[in-house]
Amino acid sequence: MKVTENKIYNPEIECMDRDELKALQLSRLQETVKLCYERVPLYRQRMDALGVKPEDIKTLSDITKLPFTNKTDLRDEFPFGLLAADKKDIVRIQGSSGTTGKPIVSGYTANDVEVWTEMVARSLTAAGGGQDDIIQVTYGYGLFTGGLGAHQGATRIGAMTVPMSAGNTQRQLMMMHDLGATMLCCTPSYAIFLGESIREMGYDPKEFQLKSGCFGAEPWTEEMRNKIEELFDINAYNIYGLTEIAGPGVAYECPAKAGMHINEDHVIAEILDPETDEPLPYGARGELVFTTITKTGMPMIRYRTHDLCTLTEEKCSCGRTHVRMGRIMGRTDDMLVIRGVNVFPSQIETVLLRVAGVAPHYQLIVDRVNSTDTLEVQVELTEEMFSDTVADVERIRDEIKEGIKSVVGIAASIKLVPPKSIQRSEGKAKRTIDKRGLTN
Amino acid sequence: MYITQISVYLENDHGTLRTLTKTLADAGIDMLGMSIADTANFGIARIVVREADFNGAITALINAGFMARKNKVLCAAVPNKPAGLDSVLAVIEANGIFIEYMYSFNYNLAGNALLIVRLSSDKMDEDAIAGILSESGVKLVSQDEVNAL
Repeated sequence: MKVTENKIYNPEIECMDRDELKALQLSRLQETVKLCYERVPLYRQRMDALGVKPEDIKTLSDITKLPFTNKTDLRDEFPFGLLAADKKDIVRIQGSSGTTGKPIVSGYTANDVEVWTEMVARSLTAAGGGQDDIIQVTYGYGLFTGGLGAHQGATRIGAMTVPMSAGNTQRQLMMMHDLGATMLCCTPSYAIFLGESIREMGYDPKEFQLKSGCFGAEPWTEEMRNKIEELFDINAYNIYGLTEIAGPGVAYECPAKAGMHINEDHVIAEILDPETDEPLPYGARGELVFTTITKTGMPMIRYRTHDLCTLTEEKCSCGRTHVRMGRIMGRTDDMLVIRGVNVFPSQIETVLLRVAGVAPHYQLIVDRVNSTDTLEVQVELTEEMFSDTVADVERIRDEIKEGIKSVVGIAASIKLVPPKSIQRSEGKAKRTIDKRGLTN
Repeated sequence: MYITQISVYLENDHGTLRTLTKTLADAGIDMLGMSIADTANFGIARIVVREADFNGAITALINAGFMARKNKVLCAAVPNKPAGLDSVLAVIEANGIFIEYMYSFNYNLAGNALLIVRLSSDKMDEDAIAGILSESGVKLVSQDEVNAL
């Protein structure tokens, strides 16, 4: 495996003295809070309810005076209620799954696309990328931020960008091989799947030019990193992001592979005790909360990611000064990431309610078979769902399957099970069983 | 004219059917007829019992963790001779009625074989379907006659 050259896209910012960085964060935070208070009714109502005015934000720690924002707010204000800019100034919509049937969307001004592009450019540069590279983007293109985000960043650093989008393993490997792609951007589980398919599809791993990759959009482990590095003989880097904040590139790994640097000139990260919502010191595990400080389309104040991780302020060997976040260690809610797609049990419930008329007990079983995530939805039969004819029972099953496909966006296998066969704990069903062992 | 059948959802696991038969055995239920629809993913057992056993069978099955419910089917007495069944199906076909499923069971009623049929039609309700069969000479067996088997 080649050593990744330690390159920094924007050294002035990425290696900025922390005191200067904090001063920059404060002035940007103050602008953002003012913008939100003036332009977004929900933020104004909530700040008024707490008796906070924009001018009360005098220090960075005053951020704790501000109200939280949740994914449900994006759903409730769907699609444009949280815009701080005029609609005519929005140049892009990206989206992801909401907690129920409706997606959430985020509006980007030209400034926001620029901010996001810069973040990905930093990420790809940290992974060794530059204008000599051929970057294969195997994240899905569309509302999902993965494909377009990586695409913009790769174009920005002057690399030859190959917009493959997701799927079609044979074609992915053919292009990777024939074009001599040097970097790969996709979900880590798909990277493993691709790597394992090299020989199966008749290629010799030595014929590939790949040197590194940025992998994200789902939680993964050090074991998976080792596996990807071994399969492709490359350096595998972690990249983190979410649509509500920007997309991939909110945080990214450098060659030190010791946590992901958060782009702190664009966001302020807090770690909170999920029980008390009180700020936790560096090193403590808690819920990651972001405030955007340069976005103008749909700025986010104290957005709760529900991701559990730790932050460290220790200086990194790469020279960057921005705080690093560790791997995601779990969630404070029941969101699952399956094949890079965010899945909430409540979405499944919406489908079951529609198809079955009542909300039956159900359980999601997530596993990883041949490096690919699988979702089995076990649904307890109700009298309304059961019939003496095979066709009726299969119709119910197919309607559930199609409903999940359309609401969640991924294919699930549906297993109808007898009543009361799903284990209840303290009278409440355990909604998900994740056998992948990705979090601890 | 319809009789009651008990339908039970079966998971495709080893031992599921045995659990069903054991459950009915322990409850002292006499099964008069049975058939199983099998698919790659699940099965449906259809069981005919006497009326006196409806509640006992359903309760025992539900307590054993099965999804079980009653539904209505027709029971036809089919002449136990060549072309007996064909004559019944000829009536069904001629009237544009669909057969969802059918099975016969091992009882003899005055020289007739007993056939359970689940029929459907785009145009007729269940009473009209049963009426047409009767008018066309198909002998339909009542619940009372089944109870007396």
